[in-house]
Amino acid sequence: MDKLRRIWIIASNTFRESVRDKILYNIVFVAVALSIFSIVLGEWSVFDRAHVIKAITLSLMSLSGLLISVFVGISLVQKEIQGRTVLTLLSKPLHRAEFIIGKYLGLLGVMGTHLTLLTGVFFVILWGTGSQPEFLLLKAVYLIFWEMAIVIAVAMLFSSFSTPVLSSLFTLGVYAAGHLTDQLLAQVRFVKQVVASEVVQQNSQLMEFMAVWAHRLLPGLYRYNISQQVIHHLPIPELYFFWSTLYAIGYVGILLSVASWWFGRRDFL
Amino acid sequence: MIQIEALSKTYRTGFLMKPKQALLSIDLKVSEGEIFGFIGPNGAGKSTTIKILTGLLRPSSGKVSVMGSSPQDPRSREKLGFLPEHPYFYDYLTGHELLKFYGSLSGVRGKLLEERIDWALTLLHANHDWVHRRLRTYSKGMMQRMGLAQAILSKPKLLILDEPMSGLDPLGRKDVREAILALNREGCTIFYSSHVLADVEAISHRVAMIVEGRIVKQGTVEQVTGGEGSEYTVRTSTGLPAALLIPGVRAILPQEFMCDSPVARDQLITACLSNGVGVERIENNRPSLEEVLTREVAKDGANG
Repeated sequence: MDKLRRIWIIASNTFRESVRDKILYNIVFVAVALSIFSIVLGEWSVFDRAHVIKAITLSLMSLSGLLISVFVGISLVQKEIQGRTVLTLLSKPLHRAEFIIGKYLGLLGVMGTHLTLLTGVFFVILWGTGSQPEFLLLKAVYLIFWEMAIVIAVAMLFSSFSTPVLSSLFTLGVYAAGHLTDQLLAQVRFVKQVVASEVVQQNSQLMEFMAVWAHRLLPGLYRYNISQQVIHHLPIPELYFFWSTLYAIGYVGILLSVASWWFGRRDFL
Repeated sequence: MIQIEALSKTYRTGFLMKPKQALLSIDLKVSEGEIFGFIGPNGAGKSTTIKILTGLLRPSSGKVSVMGSSPQDPRSREKLGFLPEHPYFYDYLTGHELLKFYGSLSGVRGKLLEERIDWALTLLHANHDWVHRRLRTYSKGMMQRMGLAQAILSKPKLLILDEPMSGLDPLGRKDVREAILALNREGCTIFYSSHVLADVEAISHRVAMIVEGRIVKQGTVEQVTGGEGSEYTVRTSTGLPAALLIPGVRAILPQEFMCDSPVARDQLITACLSNGVGVERIENNRPSLEEVLTREVAKDGANG
């Protein structure tokens, strides 16, 4: 019970700290502005206006979430270390894992608030342009939230042992790779199937091995992007949401455990 | 309260991870109810020791126990208060918000927390008005008081303070000194480092002196400053014939003599009494902690 209370104290302070961050306001402002600008792009596009607005706004949610994770999330732990506030904090009866989890939950709260705001803007735009917002859109936002839950955990892991610049680069790299691993695996298997040459077969064996492990180890962020299904009203199995949530929770659990272990071994000079 | 045995700490610094020995097998014991001063020049290992005691650094070797637990165990910090050197806090909070934050992390809540905040501010003679201002507007002295206040909110059994007098004016120093004594009277054990040696001398029950990662002296202030090198002034009722001035004794006034050791002092007194000269006063001119520390640092430098 005490543990939960301490985690809650750290999380609420992190939330309070983050919502004072000017970078957060800049990212939110740009995301909102671009969402509104999607109306203009929808008018110019040869495609259906509502399709364009949905595609742009859902992508903006994911992208702005990534920027918040990188620019706000990574600095959260680093600021505590460089600002030496961590010295007083960790001298309290607070386990280092509680500190990491509290920081994570605080930022997840910020992310939830950010996505709620953008969803509100999104729905207002759709209503304003005469389109009917569907429930499926909320499901897409729900998955983006879990995608961001993984990205924040990745940022936390890197910032628990690395410098802010490297942590940002690593997190951006994992985000990009996490969206591409399924395509990479599919491409490698496709080449292996169609090209019969012995050299290609030998090399593709190694490539397939690497692609399979990248697919297994890196977070499968591609599964949280269902904008095409939402826009074109393609069917999505109900269990898809359940498994995607479970996957995110499991992945976040592993990342935070490693981050806590690493952070727990750190010396604070 | 604190038990340190053969504690060593090696840092690895720079690109090549060059090892640097910060502590070299130090032994230290702080008993319950003591005010224990930890002194030494900059870079001697005071903050390193303190950070190991509070679980912020891991020892390279040796045993450390704080109130019977390992400092890495968060339970060892349940009854521990800590003020780091040059404390930094979230400057977007007000002083009151900061104390509520740290108080609740220490397990103090609700009405009790408000009472404790009031008690801590009163004890430190902190102005109750400025606790509602943002910390970014605080002077160094105000920040130091906030640091001390957050450390004592849980009424700790052990208080570890790294340079508590730093950045304080003489009045502030007096307030902190009095607060330390008041907390100690209530049963709190205090382990603190300081460069203000006059204060250490005035309030500490025991002190330890660390130079280049080694404890060079440990004990009561008298023990640390006494022993070899102590000088005594002996005042006699009349002047002494030159023949009585034995080696190690020199006249500084017609009736006052400086003895450079307890042996010389005893010999002089014996000679006076056997020659019918009265002894009016004997004073121990023991060196100050500062003189002893300066001597130890010079000795360490000479030894290489």
